[in-house]
Amino acid sequence: MPQLVTVRVERPDGRPFRLWIPVLPVLLVLFPLVIVLVLAAFVACLVFRVDVPHAFGTAWRIAFALPGTLIDIDQGGTGVRVAIR
Amino acid sequence: MNEQRKDILDMLAEGKITAEEAEQLISALERDRPPAAPAFDAKPKGKAKYLRVLVDSRDAGEPGRVNVRVPLQLLRAGVKLVALIPPQALERANAELSRSGVPFDLTQLKPEQLEQLVEHLDEMTVDVDQPDTTVRVFCE
Repeated sequence: MPQLVTVRVERPDGRPFRLWIPVLPVLLVLFPLVIVLVLAAFVACLVFRVDVPHAFGTAWRIAFALPGTLIDIDQGGTGVRVAIR
Repeated sequence: MNEQRKDILDMLAEGKITAEEAEQLISALERDRPPAAPAFDAKPKGKAKYLRVLVDSRDAGEPGRVNVRVPLQLLRAGVKLVALIPPQALERANAELSRSGVPFDLTQLKPEQLEQLVEHLDEMTVDVDQPDTTVRVFCE
């Protein structure tokens, strides 16, 4: 399960913008929204006749496989870096 | 049965040693035995964990760099999404592909085949060298 997402944006004419997102606390704060999203996903699975346990199992596996992902793009003096730990 | 163990059992059968002595000798043999060789199908050490994509380019004189690292575990989990695509969506996608001149039947694409593809990704390396661009795709 991802613990921390770090985002860094660099511009040629300014200080780099850095953001650390602790996943678990954010999820806890947004818990009501998460519940609504899960319910919406459940209904969508039923509407499109998708196997619900399989869908949620796959989503769970994807969430647990995310740590270690890194996207780092630099162009000239501009750069974006997203890392999931 | 190895030769030394057989000798000990022979000596026990001939009455040259007691059962207790035989047990002590066999225990000593097992202690001295080197660790077993790894099984043939055991995963080799240093198995790739990430898919890396590195792009170095120079557009309009400005250097550009893309560095993407994706866990292979994420790809393995992602290919399971194929099984979740509703059949009607696959049919529509097939129709669109055919209309675009790509007669590809997505319903024939099985998750197991994609998993095999991901399993063998660690043996893949792609190197593209252009005067102003370098692309490397590999697993580490």
